[in-house]
Amino acid sequence: MSDTTPESAGRAPVSGAMGLSQTIVFSDVSVVRDGRIALDRVSIGFEEARIGIVGLNGSGKSTLLRAMIGLVKPSAGTITVDGRDAVGEARAVRRTTGLLFQNPDDQIVMPIVAEDLAFGLKNHGFSRAEIAVRVAGALDRLGIAGLSERRIHELSGGEKQLVALAGVLALAPKTVLFDEPTAHLDLKNRNRLRDVLHALPEQAIVVSHDLDLLAEFPRVVMIEAGRIVRDGSAEAVLGHYRGANR
Amino acid sequence: MIASLARPGASLLHRTPAARKLAGLALAATVLFFVEDARLLAGAVLVGLVAARSTGATFAAIGRDLKGPALVLAVLGLVDWWLIDGTTALVVVLRLGAIALLAHAVTVTTTTAELTEVMERLFLPAERLGLLDASRAALTVTLAIRFVPLITQEAREIRAAQAARGLEGSILALAVPLLVRIVVRAETLADAIDARGFPPDRSSSGRDQETNERPRSP
Amino acid sequence: MTTRDISLVALMAAVIVALGLVPAIPLSAGVPITLQSMGVMLAGLILGPKRGAAAVLVVIALVALGLPVLSGGRGGLGVFVGPTAGFLFGWVLAAFVAGFLAQVFEASEKSTLVRTVQLSGAAILGGIVVLYACGILWLAFFVKMGLVKAFWVSVVFTPGDLVKAIAAALITVQVRRAVAIERK
Repeated sequence: MSDTTPESAGRAPVSGAMGLSQTIVFSDVSVVRDGRIALDRVSIGFEEARIGIVGLNGSGKSTLLRAMIGLVKPSAGTITVDGRDAVGEARAVRRTTGLLFQNPDDQIVMPIVAEDLAFGLKNHGFSRAEIAVRVAGALDRLGIAGLSERRIHELSGGEKQLVALAGVLALAPKTVLFDEPTAHLDLKNRNRLRDVLHALPEQAIVVSHDLDLLAEFPRVVMIEAGRIVRDGSAEAVLGHYRGANR
Repeated sequence: MIASLARPGASLLHRTPAARKLAGLALAATVLFFVEDARLLAGAVLVGLVAARSTGATFAAIGRDLKGPALVLAVLGLVDWWLIDGTTALVVVLRLGAIALLAHAVTVTTTTAELTEVMERLFLPAERLGLLDASRAALTVTLAIRFVPLITQEAREIRAAQAARGLEGSILALAVPLLVRIVVRAETLADAIDARGFPPDRSSSGRDQETNERPRSP
Repeated sequence: MTTRDISLVALMAAVIVALGLVPAIPLSAGVPITLQSMGVMLAGLILGPKRGAAAVLVVIALVALGLPVLSGGRGGLGVFVGPTAGFLFGWVLAAFVAGFLAQVFEASEKSTLVRTVQLSGAAILGGIVVLYACGILWLAFFVKMGLVKAFWVSVVFTPGDLVKAIAAALITVQVRRAVAIERK
């Protein structure tokens, strides 16, 4: 895990210090989906503040993320998050582990921003008063407090992605999983999300094709045909990934 | 969100609770169904007009809003006159006209939020009867409201793209991509809904699920 | 109903509404024909009887909530007590029957042509025969028109609906080629 000095604040976060991270362990996990092997006997542990995951389409990286919160059930092996089984204790795992999807239109559920942020909180049993506080807090945190009463379909793609992220953060998770967060964003919004990501105190595991986003990460993992084939520093793994796919 | 048919205002009807208005409308429609006297029905039409006007809408506005139903009624009246007789036609037109005006008065003075609340209250006994799961049903309706603008926009975009290729008349060229998209989207959407903790665990509402503490303000 | 069912039902309801807002034939002079009733058939053919009917119930809920989701921007409670309400309620049964028959025929699917014919049959039986029965019954009794007259008044619309039924079958075949989806 990396601690950082104030000079580089905003570049790499100090998550471990505030208890904002979890230990995620895959033990010999295989996942079969639609007759294909999506994950092939994967054994790996994640506890760093920042972990990047790269791989070609169909390599299994999205499956890896989804398995962490029990959206995908392994056909063999177990996944635990701070000791809790991702499938058996999915509810508790999802309480502390958020997932931001590629396309905000696939995850925004309510017609109005504030209502959507409240959705996850309601599901986890928060009181109305607490919900109001947390929704306001999450919107403030991302600088989008003014969007609170806006209608979703009037927002731009970048705004929607921030709303989706606010919905995840409102629950105060320890870990946020990102599934190609900048895939649908233009350059300006991509940079905005990059800045948000850098300043995030929560642990972040990021799947991305946008390799520059992962360049400062302490650890990057490369996945190919359902197997982890590289695991090391961003420089080493991204360099290899770029080279292999020239 | 789709714009509701309700209009803002401060009339008596606006201030009446939604459930009462709905019950009143249902009662009125039922009673009127059994009335055959054209004079009584004409009176009902007058009541309907008064109700509609009391919402704050001008007669011109009411006329505009009810243009469609009025046309249908006119056609129906003519058909009845031709196929049966004038008296029956009159009775039918007056009855349906009265009901349409009363229904319009209720629709215009009741917001979607109020109606949603009534709907959710109706879900609870239905759930006890085993007909549905209240939170799932409520979510499904809200999701539909959320997605109508997006899907409509996508339909228009598909149409525009097809027009550029000379396929604007093709029903298949519109419907197939539209449906394929929603089937694909449903997968991710379902994952997102699950990831966000749905369905709520009703046994411990008000308590933080992980720590089982009452949430403290920061 | 699983979360995936909820998503499919809600999205299909949105499609039914969207098909009521986009004109079927862009340059049709006079009456704008929309594809909303085709959307109802598709709900049953693609999602199956239960989910298809559920999608229609969601659309009906939206109408009840005062939203202008029926073709022509119609909505609100007036629809439920008007002469065409039978067709609206009938949509639920239409989707269910079309979906049920599609499921029944699934077991014996052979060539694309046979499949298309079978699905057209399902769409016609559900989306026309059953639907019109409901609409005509309501019209006859609610508007006191009598069954025979209500029948002849309604039957005028069948040619357009026949085209939509066949289109629905063709669309269903193509959609099922592109994505895997079971019928429930």
